[in-house]
Amino acid sequence: MAVEVRMPTILRKYTSGAKAVEGSGSTVREVIEDLDQRHPGVRGAVVTDGGELHRFINMYLNDEDIRFLGSLETPVSDGDVISILPAVAGG
Amino acid sequence: MLEFRIPEPVARAMTEHAQAEYPKECCGFLVGPPGEVREQVKLTNVDPDPVMRYEADPKEMKRAYDDLFDRDWEVVAIYHSHTHTPAYPSPTDVKLARDPNAAYVLVSLQDRSLPDLRAFRILEGRIEELGVVSEEKAS
Repeated sequence: MAVEVRMPTILRKYTSGAKAVEGSGSTVREVIEDLDQRHPGVRGAVVTDGGELHRFINMYLNDEDIRFLGSLETPVSDGDVISILPAVAGG
Repeated sequence: MLEFRIPEPVARAMTEHAQAEYPKECCGFLVGPPGEVREQVKLTNVDPDPVMRYEADPKEMKRAYDDLFDRDWEVVAIYHSHTHTPAYPSPTDVKLARDPNAAYVLVSLQDRSLPDLRAFRILEGRIEELGVVSEEKAS
């Protein structure tokens, strides 16, 4: 499955400045793994050492927050758009 | 000191947002072409303790980022208010600052009749203040 992955400014250092890249896989996790092959560093910025989505990263499949779908195991389809956004929080 | 330029109407709108949400903290983006503040995007603070902390509503953020993506604009600054402390990044602000490209703008309403606006970069735990230059018209 080929999907578009939209990168936040802070992760574009891994994609040579590209704001969107193409990835493939049957789940969000597989797409991230695929991206990390060509853009090393993406996985570490998004997924913890324990394999979970980082607390302060939000990922969306099309318009839905993947935390409300199947998190990293959410299936993806051809033409889907994954957006990665940093959470905005403080005190 | 590096400058942080902001159109005066945007600065005023941000202060009004802070006043409207008081005593809760407000939050939002200042957006525009890279490095240039053109517009304010108000975001809802969904933190369970909104007087002391903020977290921007993820759904609103997604909509804002989609709009920026289509316009080739970016988040030039992330703003929020402090309602009981000075306009200076708290330890939590420093810990949770994720965007080295954005300025972090603080509006303090510690004295509600005299809002204080300051801007910073937060890089790997270090705080660098920027000189706020409020301009009558957007350049």
